[in-house]
Amino acid sequence: MMLTIAFRNIFRQKRRTILTALAMIVGFTLSSIVIGLSDGAYSNVIEMFTGNRIGHIQVHRAGYQDKPSIYKTISDYESIGKTIQNENGVEAWTPRIYTGGLGSVDERSTAVQIIGIDVARENKATHFNKKVIEGNTLSETASHEVVIGEKLAKTLAATIGSKIVLFSQAADGSIANDEYTIVGIADSGDDITNRVACYLHIDDVQELFVLEGRVHEIVVIVSNINKVERISNTITEKLDNTSLEILPWYQVVKSFYDAMQKDKQGDAVARFIIVFIVAIGVLNTVLMSVMERTREYGVLKAVGTKPIQVFWLVIYEVVIISIGSIVIGAMLGVFFNYLLSVYGVSYAEGFTLAGVEFGKMYAEVNVACLLIPATTVFVSAVIVSLFPAIKAARIMPARAMRIH
Amino acid sequence: MNQTEKTDVIIAEGVTKIYDADGIPVNALNGVDLTIQAGEFTAIVGPSGSGKTTFLNIISGLDAPTEGKVSLAGKVISEMSGNELSDYRRDNIGFIFQAYNLIPVLTVEENVEYIMLLAGVPKAERHKRVIDILKVVGLEGVEDRLPTQLSGGQQQRVAIARAMVSEPTIILADEPTANLDSKTGTDLLEMMRRLNTDTGMTYVFSTHDPLVMERAKRLITLRDGLVESDETRE
Repeated sequence: MMLTIAFRNIFRQKRRTILTALAMIVGFTLSSIVIGLSDGAYSNVIEMFTGNRIGHIQVHRAGYQDKPSIYKTISDYESIGKTIQNENGVEAWTPRIYTGGLGSVDERSTAVQIIGIDVARENKATHFNKKVIEGNTLSETASHEVVIGEKLAKTLAATIGSKIVLFSQAADGSIANDEYTIVGIADSGDDITNRVACYLHIDDVQELFVLEGRVHEIVVIVSNINKVERISNTITEKLDNTSLEILPWYQVVKSFYDAMQKDKQGDAVARFIIVFIVAIGVLNTVLMSVMERTREYGVLKAVGTKPIQVFWLVIYEVVIISIGSIVIGAMLGVFFNYLLSVYGVSYAEGFTLAGVEFGKMYAEVNVACLLIPATTVFVSAVIVSLFPAIKAARIMPARAMRIH
Repeated sequence: MNQTEKTDVIIAEGVTKIYDADGIPVNALNGVDLTIQAGEFTAIVGPSGSGKTTFLNIISGLDAPTEGKVSLAGKVISEMSGNELSDYRRDNIGFIFQAYNLIPVLTVEENVEYIMLLAGVPKAERHKRVIDILKVVGLEGVEDRLPTQLSGGQQQRVAIARAMVSEPTIILADEPTANLDSKTGTDLLEMMRRLNTDTGMTYVFSTHDPLVMERAKRLITLRDGLVESDETRE
């Protein structure tokens, strides 16, 4: 019967019900959009860092991550790659060689990063071919070709077909020096890489630096980024090689990851403010409702309704309004987040984070953008209703009926 | 029923009530001693501020006395907890208020059955008793109406039905005819008087209304929080 009375009270006091519901719906929708945009932005950043650049898991010679060196190589990378590929959830793997040197085109010279890649595997793992914005990608066999970063091309005033001379020191101490044809210009999406990168076929780099059969890094791409930790642990177990270090992406870019987590805490503050505003709105309307109906509660108690039943009557009303508001808020949240996931929001000014350029923020429709607002709206509404509910339950019937 | 066989339903001993009106103590009752017996049709009368409603509230447990003791059907109500009081009111007292005080979102049938629902009376039994009592108070055919769809007299009949349906030990009526025209008031009083005679149910009124005073078997006059006179009629 209390549930029936609560339900009918909601429709009896339509204006107050609408006010309470509006506070909850607006709070839910705003909270959902904040979460959707925030998660979407993080996913975008993570995708830029992982899918196109560092991969989800990296394998190195132990100590390479802290202090990279041309000598810290992985020699049997093909068999390691096969072991990794057999792991459930692994989508692709690709080997890389990293060294530094001097690049010269005609009279112009600058420091460059020489990246040796397995073209076929790199295309599959990080879509390298899609980064080439001018000219062609590298041949799948060693052909003395090079793809250079967009800004490096400007620095060296290089064009497609230009010859670049790379000069460095090989792993055996000899001088590494050779000429390559620029076949393409790439935009990696990473400002720093664009300024220095020279992509060569892995066989050319192994030959130039006397690193036959050896690489510095194996990049692993998984199908579900949320399973990185499990897959990373399994690979570590299966390789069972203490001379290797297997790191998930968030350890590879630990400082970036930590900064991102701190930024997320900032979002939690924004969320708390929204919930606080919702809670104040709900408290206000529920308290008004209880005050206006003091007489009714007095009558209910006078005819034998227990204090706990009056308490539940107030809570039921809030719970019913909350559930309705959550349903409407969820539909609005999904709708706006979907729109924002398709069209995005342009930043007033684009910015570069850890070398990656960002111009738009896209939302994400996920469980969190429904579950977190639903929980916070429901719990905060019930919590702030406790005070009016206790107040209603403790009403002295004679006084309640006398005052009003 | 022989007068000597009657049992005491309410015993009020030295009941005092002092209200705090913005820091000023107001004595509503000043040590009232009264006994109400089963089957009485009693009117408590007196001028405004004499303590009639306060006395009714205290003997029903709706308010607590500042001093003194009230026993209802052998139990001291000032010693009961909130839940015990709720149960006690539900099972032993029927209320009829001046302003009817029906639950506005419940239909006539639901208002009348509400107390039985709290007491856990089975649905079929509730329905039968509601239909029977609505027939007694002359409200057949309006079971599904809301209180706002009824006249004042009809609403008071619903309140009477609600008060009586669970067959309480006593019915307390605070100015039950104050908001009604004299014909409706007379009809309702005649009905309650008849029910009192037929069922032996105890009625205590707080009233100014001469119609009630004329029909009361016992007339208690309060003045300044004290019993001024206590007259029993045949």
